[in-house]
Amino acid sequence: MAYIEFKNVVKAYQMGEVLIQALDNTNFEIEKGELAVIVGPSGAGKTTALNILGGMDTTTRGRVIIDDKEISSLKEKELIKYRREDIGFVFQFYNLVQNLTALENVELATQICKKPLEPKTILKKVGLEERMNNFPSQLSGGEQQRVAIARAIAKNPKLLLCDEPTGALDYKTGKQILQLLQDTCRKERMTVVIITHNQALTPMADRVIHFKNGTAYNIQKNEHPIPIENIEW
Amino acid sequence: MKKALVKDTVKEITNTFKRFLSLILIVLLGVGFFAGIRVTSPDMRNTLDKTFDEYEAMDIQVLSTLGITKKDIEELQKIEGVEKVEASYSTDVLVSSEEKEVVVKLMALTTEINKPKVIEGRLPENNKECVVEPRFLNGTEHKIGDTITIEIEDIQNEEGKDQPLLKEKDVTIVGTVHSPLYISSDRGTTKLGSGKINYYMYTTLENFNTNIRTVAYLKVRGTRELKSYQKKYEKKVEEVKTRIEDITEARRQARYDELYKSANDKIQDAQKELKEQKSKAEKEIQDAKQQIKNAKVQVSTGKTELENKKTITKEQLTQAKKELDKAEIELTEKEKLFKVEKQKIEATLEFMTPEQKEQVEQELLQQEQLLKQARTTLNEKKRQYETDQKMADQEFAKAQQELNDAENKIKTNETKLQTQQKNIDKKIEKAQEEIEDAKMKLADIKKPDWYILDRNQNIGYASYLQDADRIDNIASVFPVVFFVVAALISLTSMTRMVEEQRAQIGTLKGLGYSKRQIASKYLIYASLATIIGSILGVSIGFYLIPAIICDMYSMMYTVSETVLEFDIGLTVAGLLAASICTVGATVYSCIRVLAITPATLMRPKAPKPGKRVLLEKIPFIWKHLNFTQKVTLRNLFRYKKRFLMTIIGIAGCTSLIVAGFGLRDAISSMIPMQYNDIFHYNIEVTLKDSLKQKEIQSAHDEIVNKQDIHEAIKMNKQSVEVVKNNNNQSIQLIVPESVEQLQNFIQLRNRNRKDEVYTLDEQGVIITEKLAKILDIKVGDQITIKNIDKIEIQTAVVGITENYLSHYIYMAPQLYSKLYEQTMRPNTILAITEKLTEEQEDVLGKEILKNNKNISSVVFTSMTTTIFSEVMDNMALVVWVLIIAAGLLALVVLYNLSNTNISERIRELATIKVLGFYHPEVYEYVGKETLLLTIIGILGGLLGGKFLTTFIIKTCELDAFMFNPQIKLASYVYGIVITMLFAAIVSVITYFALKKIDMIESLKSVE
Repeated sequence: MAYIEFKNVVKAYQMGEVLIQALDNTNFEIEKGELAVIVGPSGAGKTTALNILGGMDTTTRGRVIIDDKEISSLKEKELIKYRREDIGFVFQFYNLVQNLTALENVELATQICKKPLEPKTILKKVGLEERMNNFPSQLSGGEQQRVAIARAIAKNPKLLLCDEPTGALDYKTGKQILQLLQDTCRKERMTVVIITHNQALTPMADRVIHFKNGTAYNIQKNEHPIPIENIEW
Repeated sequence: MKKALVKDTVKEITNTFKRFLSLILIVLLGVGFFAGIRVTSPDMRNTLDKTFDEYEAMDIQVLSTLGITKKDIEELQKIEGVEKVEASYSTDVLVSSEEKEVVVKLMALTTEINKPKVIEGRLPENNKECVVEPRFLNGTEHKIGDTITIEIEDIQNEEGKDQPLLKEKDVTIVGTVHSPLYISSDRGTTKLGSGKINYYMYTTLENFNTNIRTVAYLKVRGTRELKSYQKKYEKKVEEVKTRIEDITEARRQARYDELYKSANDKIQDAQKELKEQKSKAEKEIQDAKQQIKNAKVQVSTGKTELENKKTITKEQLTQAKKELDKAEIELTEKEKLFKVEKQKIEATLEFMTPEQKEQVEQELLQQEQLLKQARTTLNEKKRQYETDQKMADQEFAKAQQELNDAENKIKTNETKLQTQQKNIDKKIEKAQEEIEDAKMKLADIKKPDWYILDRNQNIGYASYLQDADRIDNIASVFPVVFFVVAALISLTSMTRMVEEQRAQIGTLKGLGYSKRQIASKYLIYASLATIIGSILGVSIGFYLIPAIICDMYSMMYTVSETVLEFDIGLTVAGLLAASICTVGATVYSCIRVLAITPATLMRPKAPKPGKRVLLEKIPFIWKHLNFTQKVTLRNLFRYKKRFLMTIIGIAGCTSLIVAGFGLRDAISSMIPMQYNDIFHYNIEVTLKDSLKQKEIQSAHDEIVNKQDIHEAIKMNKQSVEVVKNNNNQSIQLIVPESVEQLQNFIQLRNRNRKDEVYTLDEQGVIITEKLAKILDIKVGDQITIKNIDKIEIQTAVVGITENYLSHYIYMAPQLYSKLYEQTMRPNTILAITEKLTEEQEDVLGKEILKNNKNISSVVFTSMTTTIFSEVMDNMALVVWVLIIAAGLLALVVLYNLSNTNISERIRELATIKVLGFYHPEVYEYVGKETLLLTIIGILGGLLGGKFLTTFIIKTCELDAFMFNPQIKLASYVYGIVITMLFAAIVSVITYFALKKIDMIESLKSVE
């Protein structure tokens, strides 16, 4: 059995009188320690899938199993616990708390975890040793995203979910962030799922899941993923 | 405005209905409270005006120290602007019933002006009937149909003779009435009884046995339509007053002349009569003297005559005696001769013939017969003489007696005449003295003083207006609290709303809508909320608040039903003020946002940068704080506007609650403090007037000897005035018989330092705190005290004592005798009893009254306590108004705060939810801030509450009371607990609002 299993998942929203099928019978699997990239045009349902993976949304039908735990059947409180202990989340717009310094933003996450990593060490790892007492507004976009990643990693989660992590960044900075994520996956043996609409990024992944019209229509496994510095787009 | 925009506006309202509602609510609160409390004072004034109109109450009353005559009334009637004049008589009388003796203001019924309003029964129709005020029946336990006796002093009639003032002293109560002259409970002071008038009553004018009136009521033409607090009214009345003043001098002179003439005429008459009497008396004496003289002459003539007569009679008698003696001798001679002859003849007889013999014998017998006859005659004459002599003697003796009698009579007449002369002299002297006195008095006749008073000098009217002014004072402060909070709330929520929609604004701007069109949505939103809130606010405020407040006052004043008016001016003012707050805030935020280019607007707004707070520079403290505490502190200082708004809002809420309870404390503790802590006595016994020292002592002894009574003290209690500009406080002067004993009955002490106890001495008087405050008197100041007889004395104030009800001046008896040059005469006895039930008190009171005819009334302090506690219950309403208003304020403020807080930080909150914060942790993340702000606000509010309470007390306090400004600890606790309770309600709402936050929000771009 795979580390992450997405089995026949359906997600439907009632928007007024229209029923929107965000996910339509979606199936995919991801193994432990893999770097997975979910790719597809906007509206394909990839964010919905990520939300469900991250315990932020529930399924209408189908099962989602992560590390032998069926999260699709968890109650609200268990879901929070799941998010708290098992998930690290990296947002497109970083979502740092403006009123907290870089270090404090990381601490915000670590203070609620059972076995967190040392925030300062993590920040050192993401290369922000010098800037950890700065407020988000004093950091560049890349730096802010690194803090966000540090915040996610520091929780020592089973799964690191990243929603368009480079969406708000320039090319160079984006590449650095992706490098960081790839390194994290490799060095910390952490399962990382990245959502992107950028097809060019697919070679960096161990597994590529293509989304279209609310379903994963193609799943590729890269036996030899390419380091991100070798990818150009 | 374009259709799409209208649609958008309507949608906006339905989508953000909670925000819209809270905006309406805050405007409602602000405007409602503002309008309601502002309109209360005018409503009270209008109510008062209506009341006075209903009674046809006088605009002006004229009083004269020597009474008002018919001519005065005619003259007043002639004055331009005077619609009508009606005269009345009023005097203070005593009415005693089985229970007690009460002092009553007796007035003559008027039919045109100051018409009393019948509450029950009917008005008197003849001299044997009267009407009383309703309180009279409650106070004396009389009922309609009872006959009461009015005790009244006689008056001097025109001839200067005493005559009863009333034709009928026994009158039957036929109804109860309210009078416009006494709308408050103050009935004024008097020289009778305890010095305080208890009730008023009316009887017919005809029942008064006099042509003189004491007062003339005037109605000024054209004032009925005016409100009596308006300048116009005052001007009109003032004009007429001036005109009355113009004739005052003439009327005073006329009355003086009249009285002078009548007194002078009397003197003249008296003098004339004296003269007549004098001459008449003199003539009589003269006559008497003449008579005595004549009598004397008669007596002396009588004496002479008697002597003459005596002499003549003596002579006659002597003559007669002589003749008798002579006749005796002759007769004896004859008889001798006859004897001899007879013997001779008899001797010859034998010699004679019988014829001869017979003849001789015949002759002899004849002769003997003749002699015998002569003897008889002589004897007869002798007897006659003796009788004559006897008679003459008797006659003389009688005449002498008569003469003696006459002489005696003359003597008595002479002494009589002397006493008569003396008496007449005395009488004349006395009459002359009296005339002199009358002349002196005549010189003493002064021109009468005329007092021209208007409604403002009516105690009830003036104090009601004062109360209205007090409400006005409150009205100028309280709404400000609400408006400040309302302004802050609308500023934050409208700014937030505009900020939230900057992308949309940018889009519209980009699409080419004008600034005005874009702004109109927000302006309409704000205006609509303001208008709806204002309309609801004034509709509730104009009726609810004045109704509640006036209702409270109607317990203390007899006024008509409250006039509730819809005030357009206030509505506009309230709407305007609310609009400035809400629409102004909206315009401000719109202008700020609209100045930015569309492109910038459509980009996410740079989040407010984080900042270190000052506290971080003190690592000692900062290090010891846990993570959430640090975040909380940072956030606090990050949103200063919200910080301020919350603190002010909460502080306002807490202060209102503390003020509400504080006010209740102040009012409700007043009576217990007065009657438990200050006054230790339970009974106040008023004695009848002018009792002898012995009678007072016996009344005292009687009371002390009652089983239930521990101790009693005699004292003099009288109404006095302190002479100081513009002061008409009614003050009681208390002079105890023993200074040492007084301490057991009345505690004289400093309010702030309770153990600082004062003792009366000869150095000066001790006055009560509120009196000192009103008159601005400090320890060491000299004050002038004027008693009811207008005697003024000056003394120093040596102490200011704690006191809550009425005003008192305490004076040592030694000082009293020194100042008034007479010893204090007790008229009141205070007594301390065992703890008694109401029934026991009743029994005791009746016993004391029944057994001692020198006692006029017995009052238990428990009765006063009961009456006041009813008034206090009404005051408790204010507390509820304040608490409810405060609660609503707190709810709105906190709700708004949490709403803004959530919407402003929704991404942050969604993010921490994604991070896996449990619901309570999420709540704690924002709740800690609210909690801290609430605590700071409460602390501020406790302080504010103290100030607010002090302020309200200062402005609402009646002159006769001193509220206890000590706020109980419990009230502060209530303030804290209730505010926390409201905060907790909002917390629960917030908790669920937080729970509902969708984590997807965290994925959205910054908008």
